[in-house]
Amino acid sequence: MNQNNLSQCIADLKALEEMLIQCSRCGTCQSVCPLYKKDLNESTVARGKIFLIEALAQGKLERADEIYEYLDYCILCGRCKTNCPSGVATDEIFLKSKAIIRQVKKLPLWQKTILKTAMGNPQLLAALSPLFHIGLRLGNKKIDDGIFKAGALLSPMLGDMADRHIADMPSKALTKLYGGFNQAKDEKQRVIFYPGCATTLIYVHWGIAMIETLLHYGVSVYVPETNNCCGIPSATMGELELYREQVGKNFDYFDSIEDADTILMCCPTCEYGLGSLAEKETGRQKNKRVMDIVVFMAEVLNVQLEHKIELTGSSSLHVPCHYNGAKAPILQKFIANNFITDFKPLKNQSCCGFGGTFSLKNYPHTRELGKKKATEIKERGFSQLFTACPGCAMNLTDANLTAGNYLKATHPVVEIYEKRIKPQRN
Amino acid sequence: MIAKSVLNSFKAIVGDNDYWDQPSDLVLYSFDSSVEDPVLPDLVVRPETTEEVAAICRLCSEHDIPLITRGSGTNLAGSTIPVAGGCIILMTRMNRILEINTDDMYAVVQPGVITAEFAEAVQQAGLFYPPDPGSQKMSTIGGNIAENAGGLRGLKYGVTKDYVMGATFCDMAGNIVKAGGKTVKLCTGFNLTGLLSQSEGQLGVITECILKLVPPSKAHKAMLVSFDDMIDAGNTVSGIIRSHVLPATMELMDNFTIRTVHEATGADMPIDATALLLLEVDGHPAVVEEEYAIVQRICAENNGKITVAETAAERESLWEGRRKALSSLARLRPTLVLEDVTVPRTKIPDFLKALDEIKTRHDLVIGTFGHAGDGNLHPTILCDKRDEAEMERVHAAVADMFAAALEMGGTCSGEHGIGLAKQSFMVDEVGQGTINYMKSIKAGVDPKNLLNPHKQAL
Repeated sequence: MNQNNLSQCIADLKALEEMLIQCSRCGTCQSVCPLYKKDLNESTVARGKIFLIEALAQGKLERADEIYEYLDYCILCGRCKTNCPSGVATDEIFLKSKAIIRQVKKLPLWQKTILKTAMGNPQLLAALSPLFHIGLRLGNKKIDDGIFKAGALLSPMLGDMADRHIADMPSKALTKLYGGFNQAKDEKQRVIFYPGCATTLIYVHWGIAMIETLLHYGVSVYVPETNNCCGIPSATMGELELYREQVGKNFDYFDSIEDADTILMCCPTCEYGLGSLAEKETGRQKNKRVMDIVVFMAEVLNVQLEHKIELTGSSSLHVPCHYNGAKAPILQKFIANNFITDFKPLKNQSCCGFGGTFSLKNYPHTRELGKKKATEIKERGFSQLFTACPGCAMNLTDANLTAGNYLKATHPVVEIYEKRIKPQRN
Repeated sequence: MIAKSVLNSFKAIVGDNDYWDQPSDLVLYSFDSSVEDPVLPDLVVRPETTEEVAAICRLCSEHDIPLITRGSGTNLAGSTIPVAGGCIILMTRMNRILEINTDDMYAVVQPGVITAEFAEAVQQAGLFYPPDPGSQKMSTIGGNIAENAGGLRGLKYGVTKDYVMGATFCDMAGNIVKAGGKTVKLCTGFNLTGLLSQSEGQLGVITECILKLVPPSKAHKAMLVSFDDMIDAGNTVSGIIRSHVLPATMELMDNFTIRTVHEATGADMPIDATALLLLEVDGHPAVVEEEYAIVQRICAENNGKITVAETAAERESLWEGRRKALSSLARLRPTLVLEDVTVPRTKIPDFLKALDEIKTRHDLVIGTFGHAGDGNLHPTILCDKRDEAEMERVHAAVADMFAAALEMGGTCSGEHGIGLAKQSFMVDEVGQGTINYMKSIKAGVDPKNLLNPHKQAL
């Protein structure tokens, strides 16, 4: 290991001291961390990780690469931060520390390739999506409508992920279909819809449903011609520079639209990635309000179907990690206002285990956490599972199919579109 | 330095996945929730059975390796810091609830069970496990027993030791020892169960616990009482108890803490009150009403203004304010020194007066809240551990607090334990004769002083 780099790394970590010292090691994070609850090991929980960073900064430890591995074993669900009695900014500490330790622990080639080509070059990714689509159809085992097991063909690339249920990748990206300005018939207002990678490339039907629903309610929608990544994958891989760059591109786009002051998102992680962290890291302000699509539908459009949609069987809701506390009740009320269903909350309110890049690197752990969710869903016999995040939906669909529950996680707005708005049109 | 071959023997007992000896892992078990300096162990093992624990004890004994039992590592006295190095035995994987017997009203659990999860399971079964230490969401039952953890319900329901009916533990010779049992009455041999409570892991490694359960109360009434004068608050506490009413909880907060909680959380609190009591009476509905009437009268006699929580939501928000006391204070400064000095409850006003003087004398910021009903207060010193001069004043203030408490017939630790932090104060409190006697017991069961050495003045 390069000694100069390590010295620089230690010096940079020392700059985090004011944030690190806030941790009183009370251990409250143990009670909320999904990984600690599974592993019961101090290295998996915030106070342990913070102690490791401190020890490295104080020169008590030398193996920065090992510490990186420990810091990297984190879903970034944010529960430790939300529940910390001392208000420690755990997410910021971990992302910054990873970026600092990157000086001595270089990004593995495959992660670099993903970041540079996929996240860093969204046009290319969108252009390639028909190829992925064809590849998936050829090389994989169809499990259910639109769901595949990646199987042997892709296993060298995906490793443990080859076993995963993945959604069929549509032949056209959402931005190809809707990029630009979409005018509503009786326009009442204009918004920007930032779909995020998952909805642009994989859960395209979610994006279609959301945009069409907005148009139906007289909301004209700006959709980016190219969906630039929100930057969270870069940040979690310790590439804060690339993160800032990606945030900057998105802020440029938001700024370029002058006649809409609301940005709608349907991925809570994107909302988090482009939220206060982004403003802090880039020193820029969005000057527009950012809202989750459900919150917009519920609070701004006051959508309440006159004839609610009747669902068979009982339903439940998985609240995404980055769907912060205040929004969860709105989501639940929105479901109650628009669906006739025997709704019961999940007992296990923890993370689904996905965590984006976490899942790429740690699929067996993802699967373990997802299984806990799926087991409860199976035992309590839910036939419908709502969520408000495409990442959670993908992961929970995988977890449920693995557990033998033939249930796909879905979004309330998508259900409203599919079951009410779309049939009315035809 | 422990020989490689010996380390391999440890690994052979627990397996590769539950064994650690590299610096990046050892450092994670060098600290706990106290402000004591961290010290690295030589290795960490995580057993899953009583037999594995016994084997680890024997191996440590054979090679003179100190053995420190650790649950969640949330104690506040440095009780789990491996000051002499050695082996940390991590009990987190022994975390199964083995039995909840609703007819005989006991439970059998492994020591790594999380307190709040256990209490929840007991509640689901229709019974009640009262001990509720502040760290209950992460603390383990084994740790609670070893530290004799308290909580908010001490006055009426007692503390952890009052709920330990029995335990299985291993000594350093590798004996598997059974203490107590499942019966209410039990007179076999020494009361080893009692000896084990608050032994801080110095007399054995607990591998199974039998806990007493009680029927839950049928009704409760929570209220907030505000006072303009601390003496009135103190007199209310003693007045209530003198009238033979035992509230399930009776918590005190001083003005500084009230204001801090209000500012941090926006909770609706009487910010001009000098002190407030948060009080809950529970039991049969008729008894609750009768006791409430007595509490009302005593509060009125002592100029206390009562606000009753009429709904479940109001009750919840009232206790939320109390639960947020520590975290609200914690945000003010980087370091928080949380004490647990305890005095006979009638002495609370005297102690608070002494505390005021100490605060001024040492120029420190101290917020005080605590369990007024059992005399257990939590003076919370807000400081910065990097400021040496300030930390010296902190240590001097702590010494003064304990001296004041001792003079009033109190103790330096109501519920956190002695560990490393309070050894000298403990000697002042109990005298050398007691220490000598404890040493004799310790030498008898652990002649090499390997079980969590250098704690509690042993």
